[in-house]
Amino acid sequence: MAELEVGTELPEREFGVTRADLIRYAGASGDFNPIHWSDRVAKDVGLPTVIGHGMLTMALAARLLTDWAGDPGAVVEYGARFSRPVVVPDDAHGVIVTVSAVVANVRDDGLVDVELTVKVDNQKMLTQARAVVRPRGVE
Amino acid sequence: MTIDPSVAGRVYEPQPYEVGREKIREFAEAIAETNPVYRNPEAARALGHADVVAPPTFAMIPVLRGFDILMDDLGIEYSRVIHVDQRFVHSRPITAGDRLLTTTTLDTVRSRAGNDFLGIRCDVATSDGETVCTATATLLVRAEGAIDG
Repeated sequence: MAELEVGTELPEREFGVTRADLIRYAGASGDFNPIHWSDRVAKDVGLPTVIGHGMLTMALAARLLTDWAGDPGAVVEYGARFSRPVVVPDDAHGVIVTVSAVVANVRDDGLVDVELTVKVDNQKMLTQARAVVRPRGVE
Repeated sequence: MTIDPSVAGRVYEPQPYEVGREKIREFAEAIAETNPVYRNPEAARALGHADVVAPPTFAMIPVLRGFDILMDDLGIEYSRVIHVDQRFVHSRPITAGDRLLTTTTLDTVRSRAGNDFLGIRCDVATSDGETVCTATATLLVRAEGAIDG
């Protein structure tokens, strides 16, 4: 985090998400909503097939922030809107989630506002994805 | 289903959650995090944390328990629920050894075209009363029979 000014871009990352990753996240988080693991239930409620947990997408996106800051405790605020479901096919490859981020504001007290862009196949999965990060050395 | 808007304002009994090192490790692995601060107490202490530190969205675990209680109370089937948005404001990072108490409040209930939008707030504090995190969410409860996919 050497340079800190509006427009500073965080390195873009890609994350693969497969059905196995959804099962693992369900167990770790305790979110056992069957639309994240059962094709039958997903289709019953009108979804094309199983969709990923919005919170998994959000957690993966946060990795840009924590890797950049070097400390997960640096993320003081974090929020997003799940605008489009991440459809995860039942195959070996799953989907690729692409995350990028840019510094939108540096506050007088040193806290930094970051805006994230999270896409699958060039479509935004999250909107209003924003975080407030405390850079090292800022109390 | 349409949810009776008069249920707005309900506050549910605070739920305890004790944060363990292995749970943080399991959650970190589920989001493919490799940073040693999620696994190694020494690495976390080097950054000034009391013990291994939780990823920024780990608070979702106690928050989900609050959601579960609210869903049970209102008789909502989880498969009809869609997470619309989620936000966390952290007063401090969650670390292993924290004994948390999460209080869930149903702030708002709005209906639109048979779908219900629930505005939910979870206040995560320590059992000593120290504020740790405030999590706010909107959940969409889809109307029965609203198969539009």
